[in-house]
Amino acid sequence: MNIHDHESFQHMIDESLAGGIAGEREQSLREHLDTCAPCQEYLRASNRAIAGLGGFSFEVDPSLNAMVLASLRRPAPRLNTVQPDHRRWALIGVVAVVLTMGGSFFDLQFGRLIASAFDMQRMQVQQGLLVYWIVPSLCVLLLFPLLPLLSKTGAYREERTL
Amino acid sequence: MESDTRQIALGLRRGDFGVLEALVEQYQYRLVRYLIYLLGRRDGVDDLVQETWLRVLKRGSSYDGQFRFEPWLFRVARNLAVDAMRKRRMFSLDSNDDDGIRIAPASDEPSPFTLAARTEDAERLARSLQTLEPVFREALVLRFQEDFSLQEISAIVGAPVSTVASRIYRGLATLRPQFKGETA
Repeated sequence: MNIHDHESFQHMIDESLAGGIAGEREQSLREHLDTCAPCQEYLRASNRAIAGLGGFSFEVDPSLNAMVLASLRRPAPRLNTVQPDHRRWALIGVVAVVLTMGGSFFDLQFGRLIASAFDMQRMQVQQGLLVYWIVPSLCVLLLFPLLPLLSKTGAYREERTL
Repeated sequence: MESDTRQIALGLRRGDFGVLEALVEQYQYRLVRYLIYLLGRRDGVDDLVQETWLRVLKRGSSYDGQFRFEPWLFRVARNLAVDAMRKRRMFSLDSNDDDGIRIAPASDEPSPFTLAARTEDAERLARSLQTLEPVFREALVLRFQEDFSLQEISAIVGAPVSTVASRIYRGLATLRPQFKGETA
């Protein structure tokens, strides 16, 4: 038998140890092993190395479990950080409502006064307030219910990356 | 088995402390052993174990219980270990190997394998293990100590099954000479 045959059977031994091989190949390997001393030796040394890996016993700090469990208990309040988030969204909502109402109130109360002070038409003041104040505030107000959802989607993406 | 994994997934989603406590109890030694094999040193392992469980608590809801819990847990531990190695500048981004996980620098202290060897055969293997590339050592412990399938190891290390198999072959090839030419 030439050396390439041994190499091929020894590779089969590796495959068999790593994950198993299909029935037919296993049968041919068994038959070969019955008559081949070098391959028997190869298998025996491999098995001994694998068994040797079981001869290690690593010391584990007896207090490690307690430390781990204590640290798992500790972050519990941190898990409730959703509360400040809710508060923040609520604050943004209130600000948007106040700004929208404030803009409309400002227009009604002071629109005429500003128009005469700056020698402008009342309509121009109204348009300015509408474009630069009331509409943006209204947009924030309308988007407000979506903000927590967008925030959760971001958090979910981060979680998927583990 | 499926009901076990579902129970674990449910417990983790609820943040059930009893489930976590049982998991810590069950997997602590195995995590420590895996991380020692991966890092090739003992220091820092306890911190990584702790971080792993914190991560499990934080991201436990992403374990859906469809597959075994162990590969998921080891994957979490591995990611943290790789991050830690990166921080210690043992991780090279321009490395040619798949993970860039490098051998721990030599130190005067006895290796964790020498200290943990309880049999004559283990003593013989200790030196070879210390000099073996971490990815090969990792493949050996996951296959022959943790008894994971090649597919599970592939999921843990994020490498193709064929790569995992060849790491096991190379790992065995390094250890085998210790026992060549001897009768059992």
